[in-house]
Amino acid sequence: MTRLVDLNKFDTLPKLFRYQAGRFDKQVALREKNLGVWENISWKQYYSKVRIFSMGLSALGLQAKDRICIHSENRPEWLYADLASQVLQAIPVGIYPTNPAKQVKYIVGHSKARFTVTEDQEQTDKILEVKHGLPDLDKIIVIDMKGMRYYDDPQLISYKDVEAMGQKLYKQQPNLFEELVDETKTEDQAVIIYTSGTTGPPKGAILTHKNIVSEIESMKAAFPANEHDSVVSYLPLCHVAERSFSLFYPLFYGYVVNFVERIETVEENLWEISPTIFFAVPRIWEKHLTSIYIRMSKATRLKRWTFSMCRRLALKVTDNKAPKEYGLLQRAALGFCRTLVFRAILNHLGLLRCRIALSASAPISPKIFTEFRIMGLDIGEGYGLSESCGIFCMTEPGEAGRGTVGQTFPGIEVKTAEDGEILARGPTIFKGYFRDEEASHKALAGGWLHTGDIGEISEDGAVKITDRKKDIIITSGGKNIAPSEMENELKLSPFIREAMVIGDRRKFPSALIEIEFDTVAEWAQEKNIPFTTFKSLAKNREAYELIEKEVEKANRSFAQVEKVKKFAVLTKELDHDDDELTATRKVRRKVMEQKYKGLIDSLYRE
Amino acid sequence: MSLLEISNIHFQIGGMSVLNGVDLSVQNDQLVSLIGPNGAGKTALFNSISGVYKPQQGSIRFNGEDILHLRPHHICRLGIARTFQNVNLFNNMVVIDNIMLTRHRFIKGGLLKGGLFWCGGLKEEIRNRRKVEEIIEFLEIEAYRKKIVGNLPYGIQKRVELGRALALEPKLLMLDEPVAGMNNEETEDIIRFIMDIREDMRISILLVEHDMRVVMDISDQIAVLDFGTKIADGPPEEIKQNKKVRAAYIGYQEDRV
Repeated sequence: MTRLVDLNKFDTLPKLFRYQAGRFDKQVALREKNLGVWENISWKQYYSKVRIFSMGLSALGLQAKDRICIHSENRPEWLYADLASQVLQAIPVGIYPTNPAKQVKYIVGHSKARFTVTEDQEQTDKILEVKHGLPDLDKIIVIDMKGMRYYDDPQLISYKDVEAMGQKLYKQQPNLFEELVDETKTEDQAVIIYTSGTTGPPKGAILTHKNIVSEIESMKAAFPANEHDSVVSYLPLCHVAERSFSLFYPLFYGYVVNFVERIETVEENLWEISPTIFFAVPRIWEKHLTSIYIRMSKATRLKRWTFSMCRRLALKVTDNKAPKEYGLLQRAALGFCRTLVFRAILNHLGLLRCRIALSASAPISPKIFTEFRIMGLDIGEGYGLSESCGIFCMTEPGEAGRGTVGQTFPGIEVKTAEDGEILARGPTIFKGYFRDEEASHKALAGGWLHTGDIGEISEDGAVKITDRKKDIIITSGGKNIAPSEMENELKLSPFIREAMVIGDRRKFPSALIEIEFDTVAEWAQEKNIPFTTFKSLAKNREAYELIEKEVEKANRSFAQVEKVKKFAVLTKELDHDDDELTATRKVRRKVMEQKYKGLIDSLYRE
Repeated sequence: MSLLEISNIHFQIGGMSVLNGVDLSVQNDQLVSLIGPNGAGKTALFNSISGVYKPQQGSIRFNGEDILHLRPHHICRLGIARTFQNVNLFNNMVVIDNIMLTRHRFIKGGLLKGGLFWCGGLKEEIRNRRKVEEIIEFLEIEAYRKKIVGNLPYGIQKRVELGRALALEPKLLMLDEPVAGMNNEETEDIIRFIMDIREDMRISILLVEHDMRVVMDISDQIAVLDFGTKIADGPPEEIKQNKKVRAAYIGYQEDRV
């Protein structure tokens, strides 16, 4: 185990980066798959890449306090651009690569960015489409110029050219970069993170170096990583969670960040790398579990029987206890099942070597934790917001899925407001939203961060989250229901991709359900049910009955008033482009309620 | 000098004359489209160029060399690659192997050298595999690299076939209906690839296509065939106005226009 850095000495990310790059030098910092081969990027190269690009940005005229938008899938250049801007005290703003042109315009416009770094033709076309409405925008730096030979927009410049400019400046002023690093101050704004915007237009949370460094410090005890660990970077880097795991934490721990080739190859790359740290959102964990069930249902009879036997045995002997409470018998039984089946399954998923697994960013069904725990993968659950620079609570090992998200990290205080809203205070809490005084005041009223989540805090300080404050359903019978619990139970079904429970001021809860096209399509093919498109499959009578059974199954674990009495299957795939989902694939309830008003009303007609 | 110069080609199968004195030329860096109603002889012309059919009369010169009497594998060695109207891949092989297969042209080693990686065999393999990977990256099919081709969606198979043709490093690429049966999004992707092939790799292209929007958008020259005869030849704007072409497509008499 290596010595960890004293963060009091390195109070900004650029300073920390410089120290660590010098310390780890030739060790691998990043890995990228080029032309089918994983290539290593050492800390030394990482540092020099950031230095050159930073000098290039400086030569191009990027000033302190300027905003620079980064619009790309995850790749090393994302990190270079991010750190390079921070060294110049400019503020990087990430944009979701899936964002359509309209939302790109909103974020670039709202942040008044002077520069953008775009990945390729696809992302550049989006910004070129809307740039006439963006008076502050000066340069568009393109990482991959493929297919853009004949683009002659004067604002375009290639990443390589900026590097060449940087090289020149570096030759002229070799000490400039180091001086700039020294000049960064801990109270300065480091990054702006735009929230995905479930309730309205995205808001830009300003995080200072102090916020980020404090977050790393406070998480230290709960997150025992070291330089021998590795992660796969695959979730959007503009989200605070992936940014933390791919950029902030590695600067502190020195572990290796592996970039996936494309979003379609995540599974394959995960299997190749088999990372020791894996962070995922609930949707990904659900998908992993579904894929296990699906593959098992297609396996030979012997395999199927062995799997279900082992699963039942493991569930029975462990009885949902934490791993540390297991006795000899339980250990023996689990050892048997794991050797026989579970290790092979985890290996297939690329999670066999994983020793720190974490779920956060949305509520998740407790069953997911149990299912993975028996297989030998103990997933922790974290809770936090962009506004708190990532998670500030995390469950103890073996404790996830027992109702709470664990105790808060050292230095963070929490309490509940009168209406049950969770409030938090501490050095990681943000300074306010960019160009939005009103929302900032509201979020930070009384010096506490208003999380917008309803919950409780137990005597030992563990935080329990019920649901989003705005999402709580009060039925016309006066019963309070947290829709996310039922939704997560529904989403556990391999045939259900998304579910939204409604029922506010209505007589009973009902649900809109989006089918998981791949699995339902396969099921239909096996049953010889004809269909052509998503729509025809979703409208199919037998598919409806299939979903009905799944809803009944989910209903079993709920009280009578909480049960979903009626549901409708959506005949259209929910899409970020159609405003139904946020960039992180969370359902926008308000939009959905308006858009499917007719359908919802029909559920409540006698 | 033209890259490809076809003059006065006559080709008959039994009593039916499929091509009647067709002339066509493709210059370097040009994209020429070949259009015409079904059965006009477009694919027959393709087959004549690639050496599958042997026209009875006329000449086909590629880079100044007469290729009319050469066999298909000689012709492809000179730098003419093609794709097929129906996907013609090795269904039970993975994507990499399908593309790697055309690298045969560049692999000199025999069984021992290739099988045991002796005396430079390994280097040769790496060099060629690298080229294949570049093509995979270019066509954005990384996710399918090791998948069996037969199980892939049609749009992806078409891309793999394009990749296989590119692996020949041709000077002239002949595409036989590359976007047939594709949805809008897939069509757009393929067109983007075709433009990039032309601009970034500087490969001339001869295209057979029925989708008129595509043809009018990307061609430098369009040649129109009808019943084995070339009825028009020129840039897209000219072809759009051409009465004979309209007649051939829509089928009414010229005097009634």
